[in-house]
Amino acid sequence: MQWVDALVQGILLGGMYAQYALGMALMFGVMRIVNVSHGDLVILLSLIGISLASSFGLGPFAVMAALVPLALAFGWILQRAVLNRVVGEDPLPSLIATFGLSLALQNLMLQIWSANSRSLPGGGLESRSIEIGGIYIGLLPVIVLLVAAGLTLGLDLMLKRMRFGRALRAASADVEAAAMTGVNPKSVYAMATAIAVGILGFAAVFQSLRSTVAPADGGAQLIYAFEAVIIGGMGSVWGAFAGSMVLGVAQAVGFRIDPGFGVLSGHIVFLLVLALRPQGLFGRA
Amino acid sequence: MTEVLSTHGLVAGYGDFQALYDVDVEVHEGEAVALIGANGAGKSTFLRAVMGLLPVAPDMVHFDGAPVGGTPTDRMVQKGVAIVPEGRRLFTGMSVSDNLRVAIDQSSRFERKGCWTLSRLYQLFPILEEKARTPVESLSGGQQQMVSIGRALLCQPRLLLCDEISLGLAPRVVREIYAALPEVRAQGTSVVLVEQDVGLAKSASDRLYCMLEGRVTLSGRSEEITREQIGEAYFGGGHAVG
Amino acid sequence: MTSISTSADAVAAPPAIRVRRQTVSGVIALSLFVLVIVALSTMPWWAKTGTIRMVLELCCYIVAAQMWNMLAGYAGLVSVGQQAFIGVTGYAVFVLAQTFGINPFLAIPLALVVPALVAVPCYLLLHRLDGPYFAIGTWVVAEVFRLVASNLGWVNAGAGMSLAVMREYSGFERNVAMSVLCALMILVSIGGSYLFLSSRYGLALIAMRDNPVAASSQGINVGRLRFMIYVAAAVGCGFAGAVYFMAQLRINPPSAFDPMWSNVAIFIVMIGGIGTIEGVLIGALIYFVADRFFGEYGASYFVVLGVMTVLVALYARTGIWGMISKYWDAPWFPIRRHLLVERKDRA
Repeated sequence: MQWVDALVQGILLGGMYAQYALGMALMFGVMRIVNVSHGDLVILLSLIGISLASSFGLGPFAVMAALVPLALAFGWILQRAVLNRVVGEDPLPSLIATFGLSLALQNLMLQIWSANSRSLPGGGLESRSIEIGGIYIGLLPVIVLLVAAGLTLGLDLMLKRMRFGRALRAASADVEAAAMTGVNPKSVYAMATAIAVGILGFAAVFQSLRSTVAPADGGAQLIYAFEAVIIGGMGSVWGAFAGSMVLGVAQAVGFRIDPGFGVLSGHIVFLLVLALRPQGLFGRA
Repeated sequence: MTEVLSTHGLVAGYGDFQALYDVDVEVHEGEAVALIGANGAGKSTFLRAVMGLLPVAPDMVHFDGAPVGGTPTDRMVQKGVAIVPEGRRLFTGMSVSDNLRVAIDQSSRFERKGCWTLSRLYQLFPILEEKARTPVESLSGGQQQMVSIGRALLCQPRLLLCDEISLGLAPRVVREIYAALPEVRAQGTSVVLVEQDVGLAKSASDRLYCMLEGRVTLSGRSEEITREQIGEAYFGGGHAVG
Repeated sequence: MTSISTSADAVAAPPAIRVRRQTVSGVIALSLFVLVIVALSTMPWWAKTGTIRMVLELCCYIVAAQMWNMLAGYAGLVSVGQQAFIGVTGYAVFVLAQTFGINPFLAIPLALVVPALVAVPCYLLLHRLDGPYFAIGTWVVAEVFRLVASNLGWVNAGAGMSLAVMREYSGFERNVAMSVLCALMILVSIGGSYLFLSSRYGLALIAMRDNPVAASSQGINVGRLRFMIYVAAAVGCGFAGAVYFMAQLRINPPSAFDPMWSNVAIFIVMIGGIGTIEGVLIGALIYFVADRFFGEYGASYFVVLGVMTVLVALYARTGIWGMISKYWDAPWFPIRRHLLVERKDRA
């Protein structure tokens, strides 16, 4: 029973990770860029959300309604002001630029919000749960997982069916050929990053409802997103989603073995996948 | 006849390497112009420079009488220049119809309207309709070339640049593809053909330019130029092209 | 001197071609380098303990930065997880000296085997990751080491270890050891990098950086060279870690595997000028001075460092040394070869 519980809790945890991983998979797929400040942006948005909630007495979903557009704007500005200048064959400039941004953001947050952990009051939502066959399932984690699945589905449909999605897939296949077909790569990139960071608007609310956030937490979120993408296999948003579930289960099972072993067992699964199936569990060879 | 495209003293290159020296080329409305020359003569570089894929000064390239040198590639497409690039450069992982739709998506937003539609294109290359849902990487070379041409046509070009569209294809397929050209020109679209096959280039064009080591060494009406002249311009010596 | 003459003694006396690498600035820099090494190793006789500690810290930064520079600036391997090797070697010294009772000064060279051994499987796993993903992968590895150290009983888990055996040595003896180690670290990392870069392999590496296709067609095994550099950089960082934590006398998982090491190395190299040894030295000095003056401002100081790193990546990718050498071609560590054609018209 204990292990079934770990499995269920792991999948629910995976819903959280999927919300970080989707944006990273999208950005890498389109631009071959990894935004090192990905996790710090989650934390920044969370802290802004917490401050909004306490200053204006907003509920969690009102905060979300404010954060998602803000996150979209952040992403768009990030691409226009920084990433469009460093995107290219050489991975170094984009890594260094976002690395510097991560350092600056982390310390800026430290100054504004101090090093304390905070969380978003959920009005009782965070503590509600249902019991199914002896396993307690939290309502909030279920919502998180459903939203993650919804975001994945939405992203997948957008990529397959919409005009912008086609332009995006074209640009990720061959950016020069896309430009020769009339696609403006810089605006496609700006939209892609806006969406990637926009999803973090959802993630920020859920992260700060589920647990606490502190300015130094961003690095861990970046690593989880990265591991989920690699475990799942690059190339599809569903891969990132499935990879998040695997990571969540690995961490939850590890945590049951020994509380100090939770995060580590996620890393170990990641390294095992890298050793045995480098294209990812669900990726094509 | 009015000029659609003209270059004036066009110089371009890659980093320290200069590939074009003072190239002057004109293309008139409705005209087909061939660009021939050996490998490395600068033909593809010329097309890339026109398309805004290489840095050039604004005055070096004129389109519709306005200086456009160095304009971003997507803006050139918007202005009415489309290219069938060397190596086809299709969007892998996407179906034939999705490849074509990318062009339709973009050109439907242009102010300038054109006459090419998906159904019209399928009339021109019926096989593409049959393969519409097939991923482009599983098509044959000739079919891929048709997708690449189709993608360029759906950008509704007034000037179509074709970079070695016969390369690596069977003669029968090449004939099939070249048979589509009159239909394209019938819409008033001007065409620039970069070709290795001199005979093909001569017969499909009104005028031709021959390039050698980044310079234009010969130009004139295709029917008036002899094989001996081309041979000389092609290699810079007294060889004939057989 | 170092110029190689290939002038043919043929009767017709064709123009003699000399290959010159050394320059005036290079000779001056080389002399200064020797002086610095001597000065470092004689520190106990002219500097206070506090100064020696400061210099030691600076030396560790220079080594970590130069190793990152070799990886990112030459081998095209961007790592943000070199702290893995810094921490692992630090721990190795403590375990060897404290747990097994080996002389701590002997423990340092012995401990350097550890990062070399650890780097091999790390590279074999990580090199499967593409460009930017490789960087994040190195960070995961460092996190794995930190978490393992935090859970491992025989390195005292999260509480960390102390190097109590150092009490057996007098303050002066320790100062001598630290000074000699500083000199050795700089000699090996800077001198070694220079020798390597001017060797056949180094030139191949520079060719590879500037044009990978051309280099691989020259018959140079790019993959193996990258692997060698990764292992060498692990050992170099390990050396810095061993010395640093020996001077600290204490080690615990968060300090041993602190991402701050990567932050500092990246800042130093990017500000100073990536792909040059000169840049590392300039960047390290700037960082060191800035840290002394502005370190007390804590978070806002790091905000400025972060913003500067972004600006360098956007607008000045060659860093300070890149800007200097554009106007003033006087390398301290000349690697490029100049062909001098001399016309000797014999009467």
